[in-house]
Amino acid sequence: MREVRQRSKGMNKSSLWFRWRFHLSGLLILIPIVLTPSYIELMSIFGGANGLGERTVGSRQVGPWTITLAEQFEAGPILDGPAGYMKTFNAALCQECAEDVKAVYIRLGKPRNLRTAGVIGFGSPYHMSFTMPVAENTSTEQLVWLTLEGWDGALHQTQWTLEEASPATVQFLKQLQE
Amino acid sequence: MNVDPKIKTHQKRSQWWFLLHSWLAMPIWLFLFFICLTGTIATVSQEIVWLFDSSVRANPPNDAATVLSFDEVIDVIERDFPGAYIEQITRPVKSQFALTAEISYPDSTSENVFINPYTGEIQGRAATGFNFRQFVRAIHGWLLIPFNTGFTRYSLGWYMVSILGIPMLLSLITGLVVYKKFWRGFLHPRLRVNRGARVFWGDFHRLAGIWSIPFIFIISITTIWFLIQGLLFEVGVPFNGVSTAPIYVARDDVPTSQEGRPPLLLADQAIAKVNSRYENVEAQMLYFPSTAFDHYRILGRSQAFPLVHESFLVNPYTGTIDEAMRVSEQPGLMLTRLSMRALHTGDFVGLSLKLVYFFFGVLLTMMIFSGMRIWTIRTFKATKAAFRQKKAFSNLSGGLS
Amino acid sequence: MKLRHFQTLLAVLMAVFSQTSFAHFPFLECTNEASNIVCIGGFSDGSSAQGITVDLISYDEEIIASKTFNDRSSVEFQQLGREFYILLDAGPGHTVEVDWDQIKTP
Repeated sequence: MREVRQRSKGMNKSSLWFRWRFHLSGLLILIPIVLTPSYIELMSIFGGANGLGERTVGSRQVGPWTITLAEQFEAGPILDGPAGYMKTFNAALCQECAEDVKAVYIRLGKPRNLRTAGVIGFGSPYHMSFTMPVAENTSTEQLVWLTLEGWDGALHQTQWTLEEASPATVQFLKQLQE
Repeated sequence: MNVDPKIKTHQKRSQWWFLLHSWLAMPIWLFLFFICLTGTIATVSQEIVWLFDSSVRANPPNDAATVLSFDEVIDVIERDFPGAYIEQITRPVKSQFALTAEISYPDSTSENVFINPYTGEIQGRAATGFNFRQFVRAIHGWLLIPFNTGFTRYSLGWYMVSILGIPMLLSLITGLVVYKKFWRGFLHPRLRVNRGARVFWGDFHRLAGIWSIPFIFIISITTIWFLIQGLLFEVGVPFNGVSTAPIYVARDDVPTSQEGRPPLLLADQAIAKVNSRYENVEAQMLYFPSTAFDHYRILGRSQAFPLVHESFLVNPYTGTIDEAMRVSEQPGLMLTRLSMRALHTGDFVGLSLKLVYFFFGVLLTMMIFSGMRIWTIRTFKATKAAFRQKKAFSNLSGGLS
Repeated sequence: MKLRHFQTLLAVLMAVFSQTSFAHFPFLECTNEASNIVCIGGFSDGSSAQGITVDLISYDEEIIASKTFNDRSSVEFQQLGREFYILLDAGPGHTVEVDWDQIKTP
């Protein structure tokens, strides 16, 4: 009782505060309300509704095949604990060649051989996903190498400069290396 | 009045328990209310979609009672969506629902396709991105705060929600301490509707409370587990067990072919391989190999321990089972994670359990509301009384001076 | 399969907890210790690399030593007098390389 009496002294001055302070946690409900549009946007990127990714890098003829590369998000790499920084690209094979290509690999810098061709793309041939490690000391002049392996054993390669493939990653590396 | 000092201390102690009980939830009641409400909706979100969208239902035709095999479903998809690539097929645990197949189109978009499990009719399609079920779950689970702070980080929202498990569990414990001889409430249920709001909400709070003891216990314990799980994940504790490195088909074991992709083992053959070697496996989810070096992944709910799925990796070229994760082979941490999740959502028996969870979810949500009502009515009354006393006191002192 | 499912998992399925495993990005860290090179391998979700192949290969593509990670997820190689790289090979497209000049000196 005494407690209540003491508190009620300030009540006239701020009765609105007094009445509403225990409902203030409801303000947290604003978080999902504010985030709903970006959530919908994010889901559409994951679902492929916006195409291959947030930013399409371009299409290339590689040997007899055509491949399109895109950045999942127009952003720098994300840290994955001990594995270091990771950057996600997506790629699509043309419909005519989807059944002919056994695997697509991506790597920063020229692969030494097929075994070191890099990270394999997985998922549908129309929406393959690659999460590629980006070492902190990677040169911003580095090339992104794509290696396509046919079911018949044929190998074909193509490159993009990192600047073309992901300006955000170049930006990220410049800041990191400053 | 002569009061036994023993009784007095006892009363004092229970008053402290009562205060603790009141103060645990009151400052956060509205947030807690919101989380319980969205959780209650989330538990039946699939059923809500079922009510509003006939394409996800599995209406059996009158004449045919057999369900299609996975291969027959694949044939239907390949016929109706030429050129599309199937990523996975799910046969829902609840027989009221249609099969779902996730397929990817040459234009890089993907869709979930709903297929009648008896007739193979394509009943509907939906983009794989946004959907109501995931949306409600994401609001309830992490307030939509994205998990984009790194691959090994949980969302901040995850912790904001899961930490609520602690006051919830404490509320349950203190509530049972405060409600003396609460077991009597089972024998003599009391819900007085005509004695004013304070009495009604008080009765409701107690009655719903005792009947919800197991439910609140399950929900709060599993919620606290989610908190622990997030923390374990962030410090890099492997849920799959330390020795579970991923398994791939070796490069030399994948055939070459001059005519494009060589024919893979059929899905039904892969499932038959599992069934011939392991008893009591009913394939519910089928994931297609995601690279040339990947396996068919077949998931079936364990018959012995329905809280978890068992998973099998079948080599699509040779049919060998390269990994079998039965319940007994799952590491303890993984079993805990999967069981806690299943217990929290009630998604492991079927519609009946979902409805039970929904009912108690509604009760819990209303308990939070009723707790708040009791608190405010009581506080306002007490405040009014305090006001009157103060007024009387100041009049008195004014008269004296 | 694991990677994309992981990503989707992160953004969407965190509450769904499909049984698909978490991220399996391999890593490899090598250190010069006395006369040996000690490498620790593993996966970013905390899984061990026990039993996984790790090769020491010279720059002219000769496999000098082929080993597997032990039960502490580590492996030792003898120093080589010429340029080489160490390759963790968890399967096609799941490799990590460490060049001789990236080996840490304690």
